[in-house]
Amino acid sequence: MFIDTLLIGISSGAIYSLMALALVLVWRSTRVVNFAQSGQAVFSTYIGYEITVRTHNYWISLPVAIICGALLGSLVDLLFMRPLLRRVKSGPIAELAPVIATLGLLGLLQSLLGLIWGNAFLQYASPLSAKGFTFGSHTIPFSPQNLFIVLASALVLVVFGLIFKYTDLGLALRAASFQPEIAQLAGVRVSRVRNIGWAFAGATGALAGAVITPTSTLSPNSLDLLFVSGFIAAVIGGLDSLVGAVVGGLVLGVGFSFILQYIGSSVTFLVGFIILMVVLLVRPRGIFGHKLGRHA
Amino acid sequence: MRSRRFSARQSALFLSLLGLVLLVASRFVDELRTYQGAQVAVYVIAIASIVLLTGYSGQISLGHGAIMALGGYGAALSFTVWNFPFPLAILFGTFVGTVGGFILGVAAARLSGPYLAGSTLALAVGLPTLADQFHILGGEQGLNFDIGDPPHWVAKLGGANFTQYKWFFWITTIIALFTIWSITNLLHSSFGRNWRAGRNNAVAAGLAGINVPRGKVLAFTVSSALASLAGGLFGLLLGLVTPTAFPLSLSFAIVTGAVLAGVGSLAGSILGGVVLVAIPELSGALATHLGGSQKVTANLPGLLMSSLLILVVLFMPDGVRVRKIK
Repeated sequence: MFIDTLLIGISSGAIYSLMALALVLVWRSTRVVNFAQSGQAVFSTYIGYEITVRTHNYWISLPVAIICGALLGSLVDLLFMRPLLRRVKSGPIAELAPVIATLGLLGLLQSLLGLIWGNAFLQYASPLSAKGFTFGSHTIPFSPQNLFIVLASALVLVVFGLIFKYTDLGLALRAASFQPEIAQLAGVRVSRVRNIGWAFAGATGALAGAVITPTSTLSPNSLDLLFVSGFIAAVIGGLDSLVGAVVGGLVLGVGFSFILQYIGSSVTFLVGFIILMVVLLVRPRGIFGHKLGRHA
Repeated sequence: MRSRRFSARQSALFLSLLGLVLLVASRFVDELRTYQGAQVAVYVIAIASIVLLTGYSGQISLGHGAIMALGGYGAALSFTVWNFPFPLAILFGTFVGTVGGFILGVAAARLSGPYLAGSTLALAVGLPTLADQFHILGGEQGLNFDIGDPPHWVAKLGGANFTQYKWFFWITTIIALFTIWSITNLLHSSFGRNWRAGRNNAVAAGLAGINVPRGKVLAFTVSSALASLAGGLFGLLLGLVTPTAFPLSLSFAIVTGAVLAGVGSLAGSILGGVVLVAIPELSGALATHLGGSQKVTANLPGLLMSSLLILVVLFMPDGVRVRKIK
């Protein structure tokens, strides 16, 4: 029972990590918490769904969804975030404008999806079985799809790790988020690099949506709770740190899984809220956050 | 702005007149419109709570739906289980929400912008599900909050054919106008000035001897009191409270209403309330006109509302930004 709960936790934790990672990528590049993240992710997932309906092939739909996610992320930055940040620069509540604007975008994306595909629950099918692996007579609640989720998340994390650590692009991304002015002076095209950050984030969210949705159903609001978990995970990890997002996601996933198993489903999000509050009040920079990172 | 300010007595007179006109007018409109009028009044109170919080104290909450749920459940619980008379039940709900808001506000005062938004969002998701956990809160069926027909003396005052909806309209309108009046006065007092000072420049305000964190906690508490009052009245209109009566979209809707109205003004919250009720109505008519399917009917309100929100933030940032202290 313990192992089962742990495995479920790791599987959902992997998804939380992806969502947290998407938030962290945007936060690092633009200092904005993107509340539209779940909207963008579910939009790309719908694209993936449409592809499976037409081609009956999940393995084509997955990369298409990810590419759509990246494009959408980039577009959101270009057409939406940049004008907003240019216009609403000063003023005492200027920091609230991005929150409100991304919420508006979330609503817009979700109602557009509803207009196109309707609000009914759709089945985004994956060829992988959702039935748990069986060992002898014991079936564990960990299916091939869950395994795929964990592997895909791990792959993404490794790829991001390599990009950030060993490539010029990664260096530029880090520099642009750490010291934008100095990076600009050193020849980094900060706004373009930021745009790439948004694209990466969009792709990550799209991947999260496209791998998790086959385990449940697809609707315009189906990833909202995932966003909340991703946010909590990102804050636990420190909102600034990619490693922190992953660790935060896994901790939260395993934690939720044990609460679900031993206490009950109705308190999970309240516990999530309490964890969030404790982290923010006791250690506002999170487990892996920078010292000067934030004034929470 | 100061030149356009009315004195407390003038605004009391104006709001009483407005109230009287509305109450008399309610005799001549049909049931549906009366009910929608009551909805507007409830939204006005809820939006005023966000205006106070965001416009004056510079904090944001995406979790005021949860605070409304506290108020609604407090009212329904004391009404149904402990047999409180309903005005007392609404007050009790407000008390519960105020206490909850105070606890949240202590934490909220230490958080800024996006952190506060995300945390309150998590609360909005988490809190209503808690009702399933306690048997006394009625689980998914929720709690009944049916105050029945208007008492005899009111029905006499209201004239013939004084229905329950008219009674709801009277209750909510009178409370909403009284709330607007008292909050206007509060915001023009030293409390309001201190909140604005703390929002505009926390360091300068601190140097001037204003306790900014305490002001933030107080603002969050007062705002929660308003939200839970609105929550109690919301339950009254629905006739019951359930976990699903206070969804995330409710929290978003009242923030949207506050932004559309320009978060700087309380009078704007009346406009915001009208918009929140009018948009579903208008888009419903539009959808029927277009001969739209169920998809269109279900999603047009959201589409209009979100587009409006985005346009206001992008092109009228002054609607978002609050006027400077003169």
